Amino acid sequence: MAKTHWLYAFLVLAATTARAAEAPAAGGMERGAYLARAGDCIACHTAPGGADFAGGLAFDTPVGRIYSTNITPDRETGIGAYTLEDFARAVRQGVAKDGHHLYPAMPYPSYAKVSDADIKALYAYFHDNVAPVKQANRPSAIPMPLGFRFPLAVWDALFLKEGAYRPDPAHDARWNRGAYLVEGLGHCGACHTPRAVTLQEKALSDRDGSTYLSGSKFDGWFAKSLRGNDRDGLGGWSEGDIVTFLKTGTTDRTAAFAGMAEVVQHSSQFLTDDDLEAIAHYLKSLRARQGAPEAPARTIQAAAAPAEDHPSRGGAAYSQYCVTCHRADGGGVPRIFPALAGNDVVETADATSLIHIVLGGGRIAHTMAHPMPFAMPEFTKMDNREVAEVVSFIRTAWGNDAGPVTVDQVAKVRATLGKAEAKP
Amino acid sequence: MTSALPQMKKVRIMRQTLLTGFLVLGLMPPAVAGSPVQDSQPPSLLVKFAPPKLADIPDDANGKQVLYGRRLVMETARLLPDNVGDVLNCTSCHLGGGMVAGASPFVGQAAASYPRNNARAGHTVTLEQRINGCFQRSMNGKPLPEDSAEMKAMIAYFNWLSAGLPPHAKVEGAGIGKIDKSLMPDPAHGKQIYGAKCAACHGTDGNGLKDAKGNYVFPPLWGDKSFNVGAGMARTYTAAAFVKHNMPIAWGLNAPLGQGGALSDQDAVDVAEYFSHQPRPDFAGKAKDWPNGGKPKDARY
Ligand code: HEC
Ligand code: HEC
Repeated sequence: MAKTHWLYAFLVLAATTARAAEAPAAGGMERGAYLARAGDCIACHTAPGGADFAGGLAFDTPVGRIYSTNITPDRETGIGAYTLEDFARAVRQGVAKDGHHLYPAMPYPSYAKVSDADIKALYAYFHDNVAPVKQANRPSAIPMPLGFRFPLAVWDALFLKEGAYRPDPAHDARWNRGAYLVEGLGHCGACHTPRAVTLQEKALSDRDGSTYLSGSKFDGWFAKSLRGNDRDGLGGWSEGDIVTFLKTGTTDRTAAFAGMAEVVQHSSQFLTDDDLEAIAHYLKSLRARQGAPEAPARTIQAAAAPAEDHPSRGGAAYSQYCVTCHRADGGGVPRIFPALAGNDVVETADATSLIHIVLGGGRIAHTMAHPMPFAMPEFTKMDNREVAEVVSFIRTAWGNDAGPVTVDQVAKVRATLGKAEAKP
Repeated sequence: MTSALPQMKKVRIMRQTLLTGFLVLGLMPPAVAGSPVQDSQPPSLLVKFAPPKLADIPDDANGKQVLYGRRLVMETARLLPDNVGDVLNCTSCHLGGGMVAGASPFVGQAAASYPRNNARAGHTVTLEQRINGCFQRSMNGKPLPEDSAEMKAMIAYFNWLSAGLPPHAKVEGAGIGKIDKSLMPDPAHGKQIYGAKCAACHGTDGNGLKDAKGNYVFPPLWGDKSFNVGAGMARTYTAAAFVKHNMPIAWGLNAPLGQGGALSDQDAVDVAEYFSHQPRPDFAGKAKDWPNGGKPKDARY
């Protein structure tokens, strides 16, 4: 693994153009704008209530606060003075025009795969179509000596695999298009691939190994495995389910929440059906991660309501707090309330997200398909024991097959609630 | 781009969190669940809304009766077909089985807090009579015999919900909340609101939504399977107060149902006028209502 990293770092110096990387005729949307959506630039480069792309969104980090930058074409405060080459270097290598290294909150290790043609289209979009906004970047509050950006150059040398996506000849154009979007602009791995202690994603593509997209935990959430054959990944999903999910934020059984709801809202709902199908096709091709239970997941039967009123304390809590929406049989309501029976988020070994959503609530993506984004209330008032009981119940009811959770696990997730939200 | 943004930050931030390699997290004290304060209150005072927990029901004969009562409230149409003429359950309106503040909760409805005055009946009513009022109107059905096991179980459940409350305590969140009754309804606007904020669950035709097994997950708001004109919910301002404070559910992050908060008083009055005045069953006993006067302005007859 480490060897591959080194090889890439040294060998792949020049960007190669990839045919699979050509953007499609994006249904009506101008190409650069389409790609900016695919890369979800707006999510990080826009502060709440601020102008689009003017930056200023705060990221609270354990070592200090940093702010995203202004990427509008304002000459003084934005990227108006950037040449195409400057722009390409920033996006793909994380080096700003003045030569300083960007913090890897900018997902340039993934964006490195973006093709020359797409970089050009993005550049044209940001230059010509985005309204310039004069707004000076806010300096980061990272104290010396961590404020030295120099170590980042070292980090980059180690982990940045420079070079645009190269199509894999063993696969067809659709697969390659999917891989290009997932590994590149989509930067799915930024959240779904586990990271090493040194921070880098353990794998930047499936070629690096089956840790790629195998699920990752951070700040009280667990971003699930996206591997097409992991049972707790997308093993139980059809390609059609994945497309529907990315387009609308829901399927008949599940709903995007937390960070993923925003990805759907700001990015994936705008992708063409062709691109979404390519993404789904590629994800479903990923074999199960090493040691993971292999799909096919069982076909989900309509679950029966628990026969007894009082199967357990957790069951009683379920019928007190959850049953109106998720229903006695755990079947939810298609496209409105997620099913809990046979839901891989419920059954994932790492119950972090499950506990988090019970405590903190959530909201489904606001999409063209869901002008009324339904919410899950926050149950902060339930004590840790009650949460552990009810979560353990749903992980074992209706044929669900996951382990119980402890009071301690709930306490740990509770401690992360609201912690990461930066107040700019 | 509303409340969603902070979450996104979270996603990005994890890179930085991982930078340290550690999650340095202090444990917060567990949130304190609403504790009952009723014992210390003089009877006339407002009592905090703190329903007990089903998980604490003892596994004994009384516990079984309470749970049976709860089940009847939750699945009234299925379990009591002879008494229910529509497809509703008590919990369709008394949300969460009567455990939701502002949705006419059963907390505070112990048998001992009756008889109570009832202008519609023209005399005081017992809890049995009050329940049967809802059977005949809201459920468009027939009264449940007062000495039946079912009636007793429902009352056992109400008593359990109200245990420890002084009989004439006023529970916070009792009833269905307030609405400005001076507002004039605009049903045309109400129809628009219905389409935008209600139809996703209750159906464009007001028929509700059934699951694959044929059970209603979202109750109908009008038509022959809905409550009759004698029901409180058929009255514009009663329905408006209910809707303002309770509908839609899953709208906000507020526990327990994310209910209410979506509509202004005017919007609620408009949408209530719209759906309550759609076709629905008649109520045979309507001539006997309000025998001593005091009929509210939004009465249907
Ligand atoms: C269609 C809606 C609806 C249904 C269904 C319904 N009710 Fe009601 N119920 C109401 C309304 C509205 C009130 C009056 C609330 C108010 O005005 O504060 C009420 C009042 C009551 C009250 C008196 C509460 C108080 O605070 O004075 C009781 C008890 C009651 N209902 C029991 C039941 C039972 C038991 C069932 C099931 C058999 C049931 N209801 C079904 C709408 C409904
Ligand atoms: C997210 C789904 C959802 C939406 C949206 C929604 N409701 Fe409801 N509504 C429910 C559920 C669920 C119940 C019954 C609760 C139960 O059975 O546990 C209900 C019950 C009701 C009732 C009492 C029962 C009946 O059938 O008369 C009324 C009245 C009502 N809703 C009106 C509205 C109105 C008006 C709106 C729009 C402003 C609305 N609802 C939006 C889910 C919804």
